[in-house]
Amino acid sequence: MTEAVSARGLTKRFGERTAVAGIDFGVEPGICFGFLGPNGAGKTTTMKMIYGLATIDDGELTVLGMDAMRERRRIKSRLGVVPQETNLDADLTVRENLLQQARYFGIDPAKAEERAGELLEFSLLGDRGDERIHGLSGGMKRRLLISRALMGDPELVVLDEPTTGLDPQARLAVWGALDRLRRRGVTLLLTTHYMEEAERLCDRLVIMDEGRIVTDGRPADLVRGHVGREVLELKLDEGCDADRLVASLDGRIQGHDLSERTLMLYADDAEAVLEELDHAVYPTESALVRRATLEDVFLRMTGRSLRE
Amino acid sequence: MAILDEPGYAGLGPRIPLRDMVPAPRLAAAVWLRNARVFSKLWRGALLPTFLDPFLYLLALGFGLGTYVAHINGIPYKEFIAPGLVASAAMWSSAFETTYNVYFRMNELRLYDNVLSTPVEVQDLVAGDLAWSAFRATIYGVVVLGVIAIFGLVSSWWALLMPPFVVLGSICFSVIGYSFTTLIPKIDLYSYFFTLFITPMFLFSGLFFPFSQLPEWVHVVAWFMPLYHLVEITRGLATGPEFWSIVSNSVWLAVVSTLLFTIPVRALRRKLVA
Repeated sequence: MTEAVSARGLTKRFGERTAVAGIDFGVEPGICFGFLGPNGAGKTTTMKMIYGLATIDDGELTVLGMDAMRERRRIKSRLGVVPQETNLDADLTVRENLLQQARYFGIDPAKAEERAGELLEFSLLGDRGDERIHGLSGGMKRRLLISRALMGDPELVVLDEPTTGLDPQARLAVWGALDRLRRRGVTLLLTTHYMEEAERLCDRLVIMDEGRIVTDGRPADLVRGHVGREVLELKLDEGCDADRLVASLDGRIQGHDLSERTLMLYADDAEAVLEELDHAVYPTESALVRRATLEDVFLRMTGRSLRE
Repeated sequence: MAILDEPGYAGLGPRIPLRDMVPAPRLAAAVWLRNARVFSKLWRGALLPTFLDPFLYLLALGFGLGTYVAHINGIPYKEFIAPGLVASAAMWSSAFETTYNVYFRMNELRLYDNVLSTPVEVQDLVAGDLAWSAFRATIYGVVVLGVIAIFGLVSSWWALLMPPFVVLGSICFSVIGYSFTTLIPKIDLYSYFFTLFITPMFLFSGLFFPFSQLPEWVHVVAWFMPLYHLVEITRGLATGPEFWSIVSNSVWLAVVSTLLFTIPVRALRRKLVA
């Protein structure tokens, strides 16, 4: 089966800065594929190259079997895009936003009306069709953006940070919509910096940093491979020597990270590690055993320092 | 130049092959329809000043100044300027639509990012916006034509043929405004466009006085202004046409519009598809 998206050596430069530094990836049809990474990692630029709003400087990019540089119009006719910025048309009503999108796809008016009705239901905006955009909440606008992206009946939907800035309930509603889409067999491509979102939605993902892909795989495999099952999170006392503590546990942990006075120890059985720890030699303020998450992988791969 | 260093200035952008320059009519129509739909909600408020504008000019110039300048080229002064006001109304409408309105849609509402992620390409978008701007300008021109006809300032039935020529002239004004919008980094620069281009064109395109008494170079400068050509056409039709004058002025407007079309397409592509 041909891949929905495939990139070989994909590169994008803005003047001196290299935003995307020759990345390779492949997305099988029908899955949800995630791009994770700190701000400035090159996620949005990669998305824009896929949906034709950024030119490609080097490498190859194939979308739905077509060359992204040469067949932009044909690719875009089978694609839906949910941008990071809310760019709904404030001069039109909710329903008119959808109908206008249908015109850009050359869908005939009767069909467009029908689809707009369906999609308003799909995004739980059934009774809001005649309202102005102005009156919608952030979550409603985001769901309308998703519906707008679906007007052209796309095979592939690209979502750039679909839930950034939403409250937990609104986020759940968006996740619900994305789940329903995937069950219909639509391929989803999303960027996010919410690890919970990636773990929950993505079948596969890549973690990007400084324009490169630093790791890729299924979320569960990434967690298992990079940090193990569990994490022992220790808040160290002033007098505790972190290096000697780690050395004393040699062979029983899969890795560690230290940030300020918080020491993370990665292990398959963190409870056992905690029991073996000599508390008299290594005093701690608090100790917490928890399940390892994608967030641990993310921070291990991209570091703990601020990116701005 | 300092403005070329502004962060928002993207420049003209690389050459584009001809096939990427030719708009798809159906997609340009989709862009046109969006603008028409929004206008259909606002037109009542938007059109009222258009009635008042020519009225004020006629009052001040026709009935005021006109009492001192009785006739020009053998026709009463009011009748001399009236058809030109059809052309200038279209110019002002085109200028505002392709500057502030387009700027707002592009940079504030950010609608074009969405439009360009659908099958619509830059050339379709520009063509649709220009067609809309010209259509809107023609509505304004026709309103003014109605007003001057009511004042009895139109002496030929040929005036009924004005609208298609006003469309043509408005496309030309619109391409120029659109080019400016796609090239400027900041909204402040519009004051230059209006002060250094639109206003002088309004005053020196033979709308208010003929060139016959003036030095030859004034005529030469005017020849380069699209308003001059549209005023020639509208005045010709209002007072009984001269066939070849209408043809040559129309050709000028069509050729200039076609040549300039490449500028906004290239600049907008550079700006939005970076």
